[in-house]
Amino acid sequence: MKMTFKAFAKNLFGAKYERLQRSIFFCLIVFWGLHITDWKIQIAPFIRYLMLSTLTAGVMWQTLCTEENAARMQNMLMLPFDNRNFVYSYVAALGAYTIFTKTIILFVVLLAVSDWKPIEIGGSAVCTINAILMAAAIYSFKKYWYVGIPWAVTIVAGILLFGNTVWILPPLIVSSIFAAIHLQRTDGYIFCSQKERKNYRVKQHRHFAVWRYLFRYLGCHKNYLMNTAVMWCVALILPYFLGKMENLFVVPIGFAILSINTPVCILLSCDPDFEQAVRFLPGQKKAFCIPYCLFIFVCNMIANAIFLCGWRNSITALMIVTAIFFALQSAILSVLLEWFFPIRDWKTESDLWHHPRKYIVPAIMLLIAAAIQI
Amino acid sequence: MGTAVLTVNNLNAWYGKGKMALADFSLELAERETAGLIGLNGAGKTTFMKTLSGLLPTFRSEGILLSGKPVSPRKQAFKRCRYTVFAEDNSFPYFTFREYLSYVFSAYKKDIPDISELVQGFHFGDYTDILLKDLSTGNRKKAFLITAFALKPRLLFLDEPVNGLDFQSTEYLYQKIAGYKEHGTVLFSSHILESITLTCDRVFVLENGKIRQTFEHGQMNAADIREALCYENDI
Repeated sequence: MKMTFKAFAKNLFGAKYERLQRSIFFCLIVFWGLHITDWKIQIAPFIRYLMLSTLTAGVMWQTLCTEENAARMQNMLMLPFDNRNFVYSYVAALGAYTIFTKTIILFVVLLAVSDWKPIEIGGSAVCTINAILMAAAIYSFKKYWYVGIPWAVTIVAGILLFGNTVWILPPLIVSSIFAAIHLQRTDGYIFCSQKERKNYRVKQHRHFAVWRYLFRYLGCHKNYLMNTAVMWCVALILPYFLGKMENLFVVPIGFAILSINTPVCILLSCDPDFEQAVRFLPGQKKAFCIPYCLFIFVCNMIANAIFLCGWRNSITALMIVTAIFFALQSAILSVLLEWFFPIRDWKTESDLWHHPRKYIVPAIMLLIAAAIQI
Repeated sequence: MGTAVLTVNNLNAWYGKGKMALADFSLELAERETAGLIGLNGAGKTTFMKTLSGLLPTFRSEGILLSGKPVSPRKQAFKRCRYTVFAEDNSFPYFTFREYLSYVFSAYKKDIPDISELVQGFHFGDYTDILLKDLSTGNRKKAFLITAFALKPRLLFLDEPVNGLDFQSTEYLYQKIAGYKEHGTVLFSSHILESITLTCDRVFVLENGKIRQTFEHGQMNAADIREALCYENDI
């Protein structure tokens, strides 16, 4: 089991676990930086549990869904492996990766800015472990994954109702044990999801269109599409929150927030072969980057339009011009980042989605929004 | 040998610190010739192809010349003269072959010629409107090979073009490589001696990132090349 775990862990963390060291070092800096500011906020324990659980389960799910896992696993699956050891090692490695590269960052931020009791730290650990095991167990249901919905709803309800007391711990521990027992019986092959290959013709087009390519990409990656839809939902409710800040010119802030649409801004980084091919062909700065920029602009503009439709006060021509400016500016910056600084050496899709680079464009747009206010 | 179309002088390429893949690699390709690169795994064949394709930024050379004029692998002028078929290529997964072909021809600013003979030769007729991601490895390779032979660049680089191809398509590929002299120069790498001896005017034997031996047209036979490979690598 130790060898199997090591094989998976080295794949994710690097040969000398350098990713783990980097992550812990980064967290120490974040903790120290926040701690010396002495900035404290009140966060109820159940909110912390909920945040840690949802982030961990979400990232773990995304990591389990990564298509590259199949390539990493196929040789191991070919060997006469012990099923239980294999499943536990795989889940443990992916879980460790999720906790030590993603959850830990949220945890240290929460640790630095709010007051904790020792029991709450223990509770957070139980929540995190339960989230890992539950995500793996529900993933193993495959096409019957929806069976896991009542389970997840029960856990969330439990955290909401008993999250401020120690009574939350027994149900979480029971849930974890249940997930562990289920995983013990799970077939290892379930985690090796093969790419679906549909050998059917698509509608004939004699000529290419980059936008068609990009729409097909989104169509085949439902999670990318879902994230874009979520951003548009955020655009719908954002005016409600920002509308309360009447004294400020908050509309540009809304546009800046809506530019955090990570998936459509990583379409080169997420496909290294495609990136290589685009760089290899001549004239791609114009042939690929301009349509890609327009594609991001359209996605941003739809979000901005929804935001403006939900705006309760009157919409001026200046607001519309600002919406176009922000959508276009963030699209240009996103494409420039993708072209000149693509994300490389990522291990799972979740690395791409949670890469700090995603905050650069919104941060610049927020600065522009602040400049407009001044 | 005719006039040189591509000259590479003392090319050094590396991946990481101390991981030199090509060391003082020099080569000259003549106009309208077919040249083969052969060597064991890790000899530097793919690295050389990648460098010329502009995909490896970590290289230094005393000069890469196209018809005597210095060029950079990443500049448009050179890019428009060459096309590479990579050993493994999963790019443009959401284009069909037809769309990919149209994309490439638009990038090279050329009109798409009649490709029916190539499609028939590679037995690819049933796959032209299927997304590249949904094709098998061999069929994907055919898509890129058809594009390459339809494009007819002045320099055609083929990295392990035979891998993944069925018997009939391999035979057809040999014909196309041998007949490419009408359009330009082909440089292709292979592990298979037969593919080199059947098609090439010259063969370069690579070892540890350097050309150790060159076989000209008259001297080329499989036994000699095999002996050279075994000797160079102490096998």
